[in-house]
Amino acid sequence: MRFDLDLPAWKWPFYVMRHPFEGYDDLRWKKGYNMKVAWVIVIMFFVVSVASAQLTGFLFNNTYVKVFNIVPYFSSSVILFLTWVVGNWSLCTLFDGEGTMKNIFCVSAYALLPYLFSEVIVIIASNFLLRTESGFISFFRYLGLVWSIVLMISAMKTVHQYSLPKTIVAMFFTVVAMAIILFLAVLLLTLFQQVIVFGYSIYTELMYRFSL
Amino acid sequence: MPFMKKLAAALLTAAITATALAVTTSADEPYTGYNYDWWGDPIPSQNGFVVDRVVDGDDLGLDKLDYSDKSKTVREGLVGLSEPSDIFVDQTTGKFYIADSKNNRIVVTDETFAPEATTVISELHYGNEFPESQSVIKKTTFKMPRGIYVRKNSDGIRLIYVADYDNNRVVAFDENLDIVMEYTRPSSDVYDANVTYNPSKVIVDSAFNVYVIVPSITQGSVQFSADGQFNGYYGANRVEATAEVIAQQFWKLIYTREQIISMRRSVAIEIANIDIDKEGFIYTVTENKSADTDVLKKLNPAGTNIFVNLGYDQMTFGDFAQRWYKGKTYASAITDVDIDEEGNIYLLDFATGRVFQYTDECDLLFIFGTRGPQGSYGTQKGTFMSVSAIETYKGKVYVVDSRKNNITVFRQTEFGAIVQNAIKLFNEGLYDEAKGPWEEVLRRDANYWLAYIGLGNAYLNQNEYGTAMSYFYRTSRAGYNRAFKSFRIEFIRANFTWMLAIVLGLVVLLIVLSYVKKYRKKKKAANKGGQQ
Repeated sequence: MRFDLDLPAWKWPFYVMRHPFEGYDDLRWKKGYNMKVAWVIVIMFFVVSVASAQLTGFLFNNTYVKVFNIVPYFSSSVILFLTWVVGNWSLCTLFDGEGTMKNIFCVSAYALLPYLFSEVIVIIASNFLLRTESGFISFFRYLGLVWSIVLMISAMKTVHQYSLPKTIVAMFFTVVAMAIILFLAVLLLTLFQQVIVFGYSIYTELMYRFSL
Repeated sequence: MPFMKKLAAALLTAAITATALAVTTSADEPYTGYNYDWWGDPIPSQNGFVVDRVVDGDDLGLDKLDYSDKSKTVREGLVGLSEPSDIFVDQTTGKFYIADSKNNRIVVTDETFAPEATTVISELHYGNEFPESQSVIKKTTFKMPRGIYVRKNSDGIRLIYVADYDNNRVVAFDENLDIVMEYTRPSSDVYDANVTYNPSKVIVDSAFNVYVIVPSITQGSVQFSADGQFNGYYGANRVEATAEVIAQQFWKLIYTREQIISMRRSVAIEIANIDIDKEGFIYTVTENKSADTDVLKKLNPAGTNIFVNLGYDQMTFGDFAQRWYKGKTYASAITDVDIDEEGNIYLLDFATGRVFQYTDECDLLFIFGTRGPQGSYGTQKGTFMSVSAIETYKGKVYVVDSRKNNITVFRQTEFGAIVQNAIKLFNEGLYDEAKGPWEEVLRRDANYWLAYIGLGNAYLNQNEYGTAMSYFYRTSRAGYNRAFKSFRIEFIRANFTWMLAIVLGLVVLLIVLSYVKKYRKKKKAANKGGQQ
């Protein structure tokens, strides 16, 4: 651990990216959490996922572009990320995790950085490469993904002060928690929809009655 | 000028009346042509084929055939066709052979379908090759003939092969109706004793091997040599890797022998129909709504599917993915295949009554024909109830319907002919000559994706890579890849100097920057040291 580190807030994500194992310890020690930086990364996550669908070269692009709908991209990036944070917080507070919601949000966002970089590289490269050179594309894609996963494990381990096996178990159950959250959200949405429809039909009924 | 005004008004009125009176004389087809775009969505297209005429037993004069001869009076049910299930056209003689199954006869006619040209085969004799019949001429009849094929044998005698379904045989006879050979149930151990032998289709290859489709056999088609010897099976389908099959493979690792035997066996789906092209390649189709594997195969003499080289895994035959509409699943069930003289492939879809025309490389050209609305009898021309066979002759397509008991003749439209011409030029390698026809195709139907590929290839041939790329964009990934490869090489060649300059510049800049950094650090350290 380096105690003499004194980095500006925006440099922390890059620092943890380059130091997957001790980086988060330093971050925790120096309290390098910054919500603004984290939000910028999350929004970049969203932007990159849209760009990946729209700007990837024709040879590597399978997106159905006849209809463009931003909502799926938003929910598969920002909402997914928020669900991860909420799910992880709800689970780990119950199991002696030390991280607050803010901490979890920041470290998880920072862990996304390699993935974002690899996606940008892939988007650019896909416009110059041939089908036969698709190896480069998958190489960068997997590199970014694996790097991000390693960072995420490291982040979770440090922010909650868990052992490695416990971290992995916690992460697995976070995914389960996410599924439950999403299920409940959809259920709630459907129920509310029905309540609204019910209310609206009563309203129209009344309107018909009184207008007579 | 009141006169001029009046004249103008009169002319205008005349023009309007004339347009109102100009009623189109030709009736619309009961189907609209469509094709599939890059994403597999159906898009409207122009019709490549329209109905020319519909022929039934009446036109063939089948009910009048035997009136002159009192001894052969017309029996009930013999009027017209009854469940015709196969048609074959001899491309050299122009004779049409129709397997009139329920009437147990073969109807022979020609292009005109005129009564004068029509004859009927319903009785055969055992020829001299059959010794037991030397004293008395033994006669035999058909029983549900469901498949027919004609080919000259090694002696140059034209033989007619009929898959005589309920008589459990394929019978080959010459034009004097003398039986030359019978291909009966193989006595070999390879042929499962529990399996019936009801031949439904038959073809003969150039080496006079006979391929028989038996619906109860899943190992492929039954192959006989010319002298009637059972050679084995040919062209089996693969087992589709469904979740069930994969699960079974897993359980087989664990189960005991007895348990494995009692398991449901997953077998390949039987071949529904078979055809052979000019070059001797055999095509088989599989009629199954749920299976996507091996719907159409082109087999080499070894029995391997040579469409694999063209990216078979990505190919779809018939209608694309299954469609759900009003609670019902619609999926193609390809029941017959035909290859025309140009090498185009025609698939006949039993489920929808549609004909799908493909190029020899399985690019979809046209879709035509349709099924009559539910509950109706499909009385409209061009609608079907239960299609059973397809055949082509001189650019016309003949579709047999076994419930309407008629033959629908389709002729190529002007648009279809332009496309066909363009493909012909394209296949001959005359890319530049094909450009004109392709552009004409696009003028008539801007959605016709094969035209974009054709034009892309034409421009690629002229080394206009950028233009070729724009034509291949969202029509062909392989074409785009080829054009882009050349485009990229050309681009790098043209701009190599300054690209190299930029790279070198960047490298120098990085080196300089690292030196500056080191120098600054040293200075800082020196400053710190000085302060202490």
